[in-house]
Amino acid sequence: MNARRASWLVVGLLLTALALAALGVCVGSAGFENLIGPLLNPEADPADTAMAQQIVWEIRLPRTLGAWGAGALLGLAGAVAQGLFRNPLADPFLLGSASGASLGVALALAAMGGGAGMLGAGMMNSGVAVSVFSSSVWVRLGLTGAAFGGAVLAVLLTLLLSRGVQHTLRLLLAGVVVGVVLGAMTHLVLLFSPESLQAMQAFMLGSTSFVGWTACVLMVAVWALCALAAWLLARVLDGLSLGDATARSLGLPLGPMRAALVAVLALATGTAVAQTGLIAFVGLAAPHLVRSMVKTTSARLMLLASCMGGALLMAADTLARWLIAPQELPVGVLTAVLGGGYLLWLMQRNTRVSRGAGL
Amino acid sequence: MNAIAIEARGLSARLGDAHILHNITLALPRARWTCIVGPNGAGKSTLLKALAGLLPHSGGVALLGRPLADWPSRQRAQQLAWLGQNESSGDDLTVWDVAMLGRLPHQAWLSPPSAADHAAVERALRATQAWDWRARSLGQLSGGERQRVLLARALAVEAQVLLMDEPLANLDPPHQADWLDLVQALVREGKTVVSVLHEIAMALHADELVVMAQGRITHQGLCAEPTTHRALEAVFDHRIEVHALQGQWVALPRATSSLVKPHHAD
Amino acid sequence: MNPMRNILASVALAGLALLSLQARAALQITDDLGVVVNFERSPQRIVSLLPSLAETVCELGQCQRLVGVDRYTNWPASVKTLPKVGGGLDPNIEQIVALRPDVVLMATSSRAGDRLRALGLKVVALEPKTHADVQRVMLKIGQLLEVHDAQKIWRAIDAAVMAAAQSLPASVHGTRVYFEVNPGPYAAGESSFIGETLTRLGAKNIVPASLGPFPKLNPEYIVRADPDLIMVGQRSVDGMLQRPGWMSMRAMRAQHLCVFPADESDTLVRPGPRMAEGARLMARCLTDKAPGAKPPAGARP
Repeated sequence: MNARRASWLVVGLLLTALALAALGVCVGSAGFENLIGPLLNPEADPADTAMAQQIVWEIRLPRTLGAWGAGALLGLAGAVAQGLFRNPLADPFLLGSASGASLGVALALAAMGGGAGMLGAGMMNSGVAVSVFSSSVWVRLGLTGAAFGGAVLAVLLTLLLSRGVQHTLRLLLAGVVVGVVLGAMTHLVLLFSPESLQAMQAFMLGSTSFVGWTACVLMVAVWALCALAAWLLARVLDGLSLGDATARSLGLPLGPMRAALVAVLALATGTAVAQTGLIAFVGLAAPHLVRSMVKTTSARLMLLASCMGGALLMAADTLARWLIAPQELPVGVLTAVLGGGYLLWLMQRNTRVSRGAGL
Repeated sequence: MNAIAIEARGLSARLGDAHILHNITLALPRARWTCIVGPNGAGKSTLLKALAGLLPHSGGVALLGRPLADWPSRQRAQQLAWLGQNESSGDDLTVWDVAMLGRLPHQAWLSPPSAADHAAVERALRATQAWDWRARSLGQLSGGERQRVLLARALAVEAQVLLMDEPLANLDPPHQADWLDLVQALVREGKTVVSVLHEIAMALHADELVVMAQGRITHQGLCAEPTTHRALEAVFDHRIEVHALQGQWVALPRATSSLVKPHHAD
Repeated sequence: MNPMRNILASVALAGLALLSLQARAALQITDDLGVVVNFERSPQRIVSLLPSLAETVCELGQCQRLVGVDRYTNWPASVKTLPKVGGGLDPNIEQIVALRPDVVLMATSSRAGDRLRALGLKVVALEPKTHADVQRVMLKIGQLLEVHDAQKIWRAIDAAVMAAAQSLPASVHGTRVYFEVNPGPYAAGESSFIGETLTRLGAKNIVPASLGPFPKLNPEYIVRADPDLIMVGQRSVDGMLQRPGWMSMRAMRAQHLCVFPADESDTLVRPGPRMAEGARLMARCLTDKAPGAKPPAGARP
């Protein structure tokens, strides 16, 4: 029945991801080049193989797998958000995490630019070299930490404003308010530090440029954790689909479970945003795409939305690197085109078929 | 064995600033079907919600002899099933999935549905004639079909006490009759059914009636008794008449004798 | 009849002379948008909405004529005390009008020009983007301010740039440089202002002109190009070490890396009269950090 269809879909999405990984490894600053060949035949040309190995292992593979990780995190977060708020238009950034991350990054960029002035030109040889190669916590934390911290703090602020998770409408409104206010503050910071505008734009449109193995492993690990938690909490999402009163009558502890779901949402979104910037649409589109193919309960939806989001972002990332190589398009533009295009086609098909399910 | 399924003492409840229920004291008997009736705005749904423990209230409510607050939520969910009015439902779940949600109170945290769960869901779906389309998603169903699925969800809980708020919404007469049979079968099994109905004709099939007006109980008694009938007529401003018809009680609207009635000054 | 003709002739001559005097007295400037602006006399009160234009005015020795600048103008020190009239793209119209300027100098990309002209102010839109632009703008402003040795000042700047180039040892000629302006990574290509300066200093840019002035690159491109020297602004430096694959680059391992603090980055990026200073900064970087550079005497290898 639907269970079998769902299983097939998971397998299908994972195979697609594998194929996209192979493609992603072949696409780089020189466009498409077949590196699988040299990797599989190491004796053929040692110099070629060495270069291929370095490029693939150090740069392309972590980027491609990191794209899957970020996509999975965003897809999962989107499914959680849509279930929690019972709103098909919900996306992972609903509780203000996008604006919080932006503000964090803007402040970090402004601080890095301004603070360095104090170092002075005379320190160019010694002092600044220290800062580049220092492993001090603040330097390491840098933009990634600022983005994550900003996202999490914004969600906490939303929770504070809505005084708990009991009323979803209040939570939603608080999230919108926090998002707007923090967004305005970000603009203010950028006004006084216009040199950060270009770097800010790169962050806003999202990219996997600097995703290495650490970032990649971190994202996949956090996804595994969040997916487990979401799977455990999936029944509350199903119960909530019948309404608050019925869910409570079924004995579900709504308060603590909602809080746990918000925590999963914040963690997943914050991690993805910290590593890859703000990539819109993946969180919104992935659950819808899954639902257009199979109707299923929340537990399976979490896993499917993750796989769908991962595949979507991998495809978008590969295209972003390929189309105008060696320049890069912002990934967010491509996720919107790919995801949005497919959704539009679905909607078109649904209006022709009488009373289609889903959207 | 306690003869009272649900008991309320000094129950008062508010919605926002409005006081809806005023100091209600009520004892609903076990293995009986009790119907709560009254005009719009009497507080029937609010009373049912409070009895189910879904609404903050002052005063005490006891379920099967134990105060509601003492029941762990899981056990309470196993003994008390609730079917709300105008329930939203996710359009994406299949009929079978929705019915299976009724088994949540019985399922351990991580385990998949057991054989007992499957059996209960099948029984519930067959009882509401929804078994044949268990693979359809909710969004594809009509209003009446959807209501039957939600009813099946409440039945799947297989609780001792079933509270239902306007369960006949959108149901056509044959399915309303089916529902009657269902409730009477449940009562014969020893279950307690409490329903809020605005269809007086259906309500008069119950064992007992609780008549409400303006947040207070005006009468509680057996359906067959004349005092109950009088109370019922009184609460509807004597705009209805209760008559016997072929072994059933029916309530007919009392039409005014002429269209031109002497107008009393207010 | 002779005296009559004489009088007529002299009147005609006088008239012609007067006319030519008028024509010489009026100033006419065509700005970068093609608008022709007429001035009765050289403007004495100037509001500048672009830092490089304010710097040009000061470089021409007419700093005292500035009555208002935008918030991003920060050189020389004397302009910091002037009233700030907002940003270049979002100036405070009221404040500008209150300063009663004779002319407003602004960038071509600003929309405020229409508003200011409608209020009766004279607006000259200039925006230097390349080395050649700096000369052109300087000469035009020199014409506007009636500074007669603008050409000489320009030649001094140009000579300073060439001197910076000549000060470089032959061993650093042809150093392959990567200049990152912002994390993204956004690089300065050959066709950008910075790129031009680098070319004049004899360095090669790994980002060719075909990619545009400030392309957003795939970081892999930089790793594969393996530049000899990396120049970067302070803002980009954070996390550079952790970028995947970057530690394999010779420039990172051997620390052939120059980090420019924010104020120096400003000088480098702004196409204006301080380009000689910018060239000197880059020349110093090449001298100190390029792989071909000789280590200072006495230092360890």
